[in-house]
Amino acid sequence: MRPELAVEVEEEAPSIPVRLEKVRPNTLAFPWEVAALGAIILASCGHLLIKAGLRSAVLTTPAGGILTRLVHYLLHPAVAAGLGIYGLGTIMWVYAVSRRSISFLYPLTALNYAIVTMGGKFLFGESITRGRWLGIAVVMLGVALMQFSMKEEKR
Amino acid sequence: MSAFSALWLTIILSACAQVFLKRGVTCIGSGAPFSYVSLVKSPWVWAWGISFVLATGLWLIAMSRIQVSYAFPLLSISYPIVAVLSIFLLGERIPASRWMAIAVITFGVALIYRSS
Repeated sequence: MRPELAVEVEEEAPSIPVRLEKVRPNTLAFPWEVAALGAIILASCGHLLIKAGLRSAVLTTPAGGILTRLVHYLLHPAVAAGLGIYGLGTIMWVYAVSRRSISFLYPLTALNYAIVTMGGKFLFGESITRGRWLGIAVVMLGVALMQFSMKEEKR
Repeated sequence: MSAFSALWLTIILSACAQVFLKRGVTCIGSGAPFSYVSLVKSPWVWAWGISFVLATGLWLIAMSRIQVSYAFPLLSISYPIVAVLSIFLLGERIPASRWMAIAVITFGVALIYRSS
């Protein structure tokens, strides 16, 4: 589905004549839910891959300033790949942002907590305390509550 | 630069970046079909890109020295920051239920922060 086919006017946009008859109604807009969720999942995977790369890159950190270190990190294959995946997620995110309020969408990225924390635990053996699990659960509750504010916003 | 100042700069920059992006796609969006090509012409989208690249660089520095499951949750302090900025800079209306959700998320973040 091509993103250019989107006709659904975003929520704050003034009502302007959109030539609806030119677009087939069922193939309209790429669903923003898919774009937002895809962006979140890709961002999480990207972060974990970056971390994996940095874990080995820091072992050979050259002496020098921030810039020298940064270039050293960026050139690590896993870090570069992680950034690429993150970039793909960003492209999807831009689309989602064009369709919904940022005060609604941005907090949804809290879904990253579950994914990245699990990744930190299972891939890198990082410990998760009970208090941290509780905090993650509360954040998840907030994300669920956020869905209620969507109805009030729609059209 | 310490890992923690890098982390805080990341938080502030990424909050601003989201508001810039929304501003950028809203200018373009006024009824016309969404197009990635037209994004390149928007100064707001450029502002987003620059903040984003800076934030990412700082994030790399922070993350190389702080546990990922600790550094990552801290980023969400930018949620209330984005909400406030979106009212003043974008004129978004935030219903009570959304403030509630943002408060719960922020409380969750405080719990995560305390537990470390």
